Order: sequence, then C-alpha cells, then structure tokens
Amino acid sequence: MKRIIIDPVTRIEGHAKVTIKLDDNGRVASTEFHVTQVRGFEKFTEGRPFYEMPGITSRICGICPISHQLASSKACDAIMAVNIPPAAKKLRELVHYAQIVQSHALSFFYLSSPDLLLGMDSDVASRNVLGVIAAHPEMARDGIELRKFGLQIIEGLGQGRVHPSWIVPGGVASPLLGPVRDRIFSDLPSAKAIADRTLRFFKNAIDNYKDEIEYFGSAPTMHAGLVDRKGNLQFYDGELRFRSPSGEIIENGIAAEDYANWIGEASLRDSYLKAPYFKPQGFPEGTYRVGPLARINVADQCGTPQADAEFAEFHQRFGSPAHSAFLYHYARLIEIVYALEKVELLLADPQILEKHVRATGGVNSLEGVGMIEAPRGTLIHHYKVNEEGGITWANLIVATGHNNLAIGRSIQQVSEHYIDGNKLQEGMLNRVSAVVRAYDPCLSCSTHAIGEIALRIRLVDANGELCDEVATP
Amino acid sequence: MADVLIVGYGNCLRSDDGVGVRAAEEMLRVGPAEGTEILVCQQLMPEFAESISHVGMVLFIDASRVGTPGEIGYTLVKPQHPDLLFAHQLTPQTLLSLCGDLYGVYPQAFEISLCGECFELGDKLSPKVAVALPYLVEVATGMLPRGQTRGRSFD
Repeated sequence: MKRIIIDPVTRIEGHAKVTIKLDDNGRVASTEFHVTQVRGFEKFTEGRPFYEMPGITSRICGICPISHQLASSKACDAIMAVNIPPAAKKLRELVHYAQIVQSHALSFFYLSSPDLLLGMDSDVASRNVLGVIAAHPEMARDGIELRKFGLQIIEGLGQGRVHPSWIVPGGVASPLLGPVRDRIFSDLPSAKAIADRTLRFFKNAIDNYKDEIEYFGSAPTMHAGLVDRKGNLQFYDGELRFRSPSGEIIENGIAAEDYANWIGEASLRDSYLKAPYFKPQGFPEGTYRVGPLARINVADQCGTPQADAEFAEFHQRFGSPAHSAFLYHYARLIEIVYALEKVELLLADPQILEKHVRATGGVNSLEGVGMIEAPRGTLIHHYKVNEEGGITWANLIVATGHNNLAIGRSIQQVSEHYIDGNKLQEGMLNRVSAVVRAYDPCLSCSTHAIGEIALRIRLVDANGELCDEVATP
Repeated sequence: MADVLIVGYGNCLRSDDGVGVRAAEEMLRVGPAEGTEILVCQQLMPEFAESISHVGMVLFIDASRVGTPGEIGYTLVKPQHPDLLFAHQLTPQTLLSLCGDLYGVYPQAFEISLCGECFELGDKLSPKVAVALPYLVEVATGMLPRGQTRGRSFD
C-alpha cells in the first residue's frame, strides 16, 4: 500500500493535511483529513468577564470576526436577558450581510477562481490569484471591488475593517450616521452589478465542470441551517432545521438554547477538529453539512426577489436537495445576491438610523447561547458564567466543524475517482484540495489556528510507509 | 480624491511592529497636507490596489527588522511580481505590481521604515524606537505639502 500526503492544502484559511492510502494495485483504499493545529479559546477564556467575549472571540478569525462577535454578543444578550433595540438588531444584520459579501467574495475570487478560471489541470505555477489577474483582470477587479464594498460597510459602521469593537452585548456601540448610509447606498448598484455578472459567468461556465459536479462530494448527506417561521433563509435569527438526504424536514424549529439536544461532538484520533453529528442518528451516521449549499437546501426560499429566482433556477438544474460540494460555489454566489438585496432593504428602513442602539443589564442568567449563520455555516457560542459574570465554561461550534465529517467523505470520493497511485499527477491532487476549498473551510476558526496557510497530501503504501508527499506553499 | 496616500501599517500588539501605525496616527492627529489621505491598518490588503491606483504618490510607513534599532530607512518602491501571492503576505512591491496589473497604472511609491528592536507580544514601543518615532513622523511629513488631511483607520 502507498500513501499520498497533501500537506499543506492551499488556498484555504488555516492548516490541514490529507492522507490518501493506496492498495497494492495503486487504487485508493482510504483517506484522512487532518486539521493540524489547536488554539484553545474555550479554555483560556475561562475566568474572563462575559462582556469581553465578543472582543476576545473575534480574534479567532481575521476573515469572519463579525460572525464571532455576533454569536458571542447574542450569547451575552441571553446572559443579560435583554431584548436589544430594533435599530441595533437591524444594524447587526447589516454588518453581518456586509461580512457575508466580503467573505464569499474572498472565497470565490481569491481562493477558488484560479481553479475555475484557469482550470484544475492548468500549470500549478500560475494557478493562483496572480494567474487570474494576468488572464482575467476584469474578474480580479470585480473581486477586489466586491470585497471592498463589504469591508467598507464594516468600516463605516464599526470604525475598523477587521476587528471592530462595535458589536457589543446589548446591541451595538453607536448608531448609523446618515452620510455613511448614503455612501453605502451609492456604492450598492456597482456591487449588485458585479454579483449579477459573476453569477451569470458561473452559470454559463458550470457545464464545463460536469465531472466535478458528479464526483465532488456528491454523496448524499443531511443539511442544516437557520430558517425563519416561513422557511426563508436566515443569517442572524431563525431556528435550526435539519433536512434529510432525500429532502424531508427531519427537525425544525430548534432554538439556540436547545442545540445540545440535537448536536453531539465527537473527537477524532488524527485531527484537532471535532466532528459534530446529528445526535438522534449517532456518530458517524449523523453526518450533515452546513454553509451556503446546506442553507440553499434547507430553506424553502430565500425571501428576496432576485435571490428567489436564482434559488428556483438552482434547484431546477440540480435538484432539491442538491448534494455536490462543487455547488457550494454556486450557492455562495446566490447568497451574495441575497445579501446585497438585504443590505438595500435594511438601508431603506428609516428605523436603521434611530439613535437608541444598546440595551444595558447585568448578569440575569447564568447561561447564554448565541446561534447565527456565519459565511461558512452555523456558528454557536455557548457560555456559562458565575454570579459575577466570569466565564466558567465555554463551547464554540464553528461552521467548518459541522462540515468535518462531510469534508472527509468528499475527499474519499474525489480521491477514489481521480487518484491513480501508479501515475500520480498534480491535477489529480489539486482536485483533492479543490474539494476541500469548495467548502471554504476556516480551520483557524474551527480549531480556534495559529501559523501559516497550508494543506499537505501524503501517499502511504500498504505497509504504512510514506511513499510520496506534496507540500504546497 | 487625494493626491497622496500614506499607508501606516503594522501590528500594535507586537511591540515595535506597530510603529508604522503609530506614526500614521500621529500624522492624523496633527493634520498634515492638503490632498493627503492616511490609511492606518494592520496589514496590506489587495483592496488597497484600487485605492492607490487613484493617487499620484503613495508613502508606506512600516517597521523594519534590518539595521540598527531606531534607524530610519527610506527606499523607492518598485513593483515586483511575487513568486506566489496570498493576501496574508502582501508587500508594498507586490501591492504596486497588483495595482499596475489590474488598473494599468501605479503611483510613485516610497517606503519609510524604522528599525525595531522588539517584536514580541506587547503594546509598547521599545525605548529606542519610541525615541525615534517623532523623527519618523518628521521625515514622513517632510515629504508632504502642508494643509488638511483626511484619515481613515482600518484595523
């Protein structure tokens, strides 16, 4: 038996390693997905005042700090037992949609577009964002502009692009100013035009990826995500819904505080990343997916006109539920359209300029849970505090964690289809990395990672000896 | 639209690494030149390529590990294609290159750096760097016409 090691996996956030074990005939026998770092936020926050948690946990990630601040602040709201002012809720939603736009733009344009625009088998030396800039500068400019749009909303609201201290327990720190709203409004048409253009490009190009759609993690799984009472897509509020591999709703209306009754967390031998599973079905049978594809599968509709039209076309083309992990890219683009529509609706609401944006309170409950949909999927922050408000216990379930088992299965499927250990080619290995990228995992978040960006593939023989190793920078 | 863009960057929680940020913040406080915009940020990001494509001159202020602690360095920045590019590792040279590739133009660019002594965790400058900070600001300001400024802080 041989073993292929991809280490590091590139163009993802965080560190990962993939081991592919081959049998004596050079065919794939098994695969393993290892997440190779630990950060330990749950442990070192013990003893800190609960109101520091949004600031501390936002440092988990430089890409989606807003998500952590939101989930954390919602958990703190629950500890304070307060209803935040309506304007504060709308402002939190606005900044959340801005983050969805910038994070999805990062994933699609910066990380995945080299595969999509230049080809999975193109020269590895230029299969990166520089290659995209050289070959498709208009697409690169669109990516930069769209990401900038999202970041400028975050900056305008939070007075900082990456780790603003604006989302706080009880609401937000300051109201939205009229000139900031007007500036966002004026930039919106351009952002929407980019989203439309990119989605149109992808829909036209997708027929070139029939093989990837068929073999990139297309094994059916459950899907989970937040929806409102009408079944609309939800990112900030809503309750958790699980849909079966064949499309039936298995569980609906799971409130944040009840998550532990439905989600268990298993530890894996070769990875620091835990493996959440749907408790009623046990481990590992309870594998489910979260994130853009899961949300589009779980919801009955998006709830905004253009996104609903795209939602209908998506399911018409790929069924409901659609299972291929390659379609995460498609779903991500639909969500950008949705997020921009929501930004427009929120900005048009006069209430968003109200000045009362923060509720105050002390420790009125010794436990609080915050649950939102982060760009990569459902994010849960759960805290317990003492009567002085000091954290005594914390649990974070991050989107990439939910997808851990599914990513492992997708690697297995892609490896079985593409890897021939007798004549190993870089394009084969890139597809293994690409299926991981399709999920847009944030391993820094999910293990709470320190260090460099990386993924590694290892080739191991039947005797367990390392035969080959691919380490991409 | 500004004529000059100043980008002060670094990590203020890594001691002297944040000296570029502190210099830019000081320039914001004092209010330097008309037509000058100041960006204060932790690291360079690809989006800045679009911003610098609109100005005639960009001035990067950063900490350096090369030289004697407290020493101020000054270099002309030329666009340089990196071997590999990822958003976590942009330099003034690669950002300028990105700007040229995407927008067809890039401004004249300079980098002023101050050699640090300590890059460990901490929110204070080392004594030598703290003493040199006003001179760094003076050198940077000396490159600019006097007047009003418009500042933005990206942390």
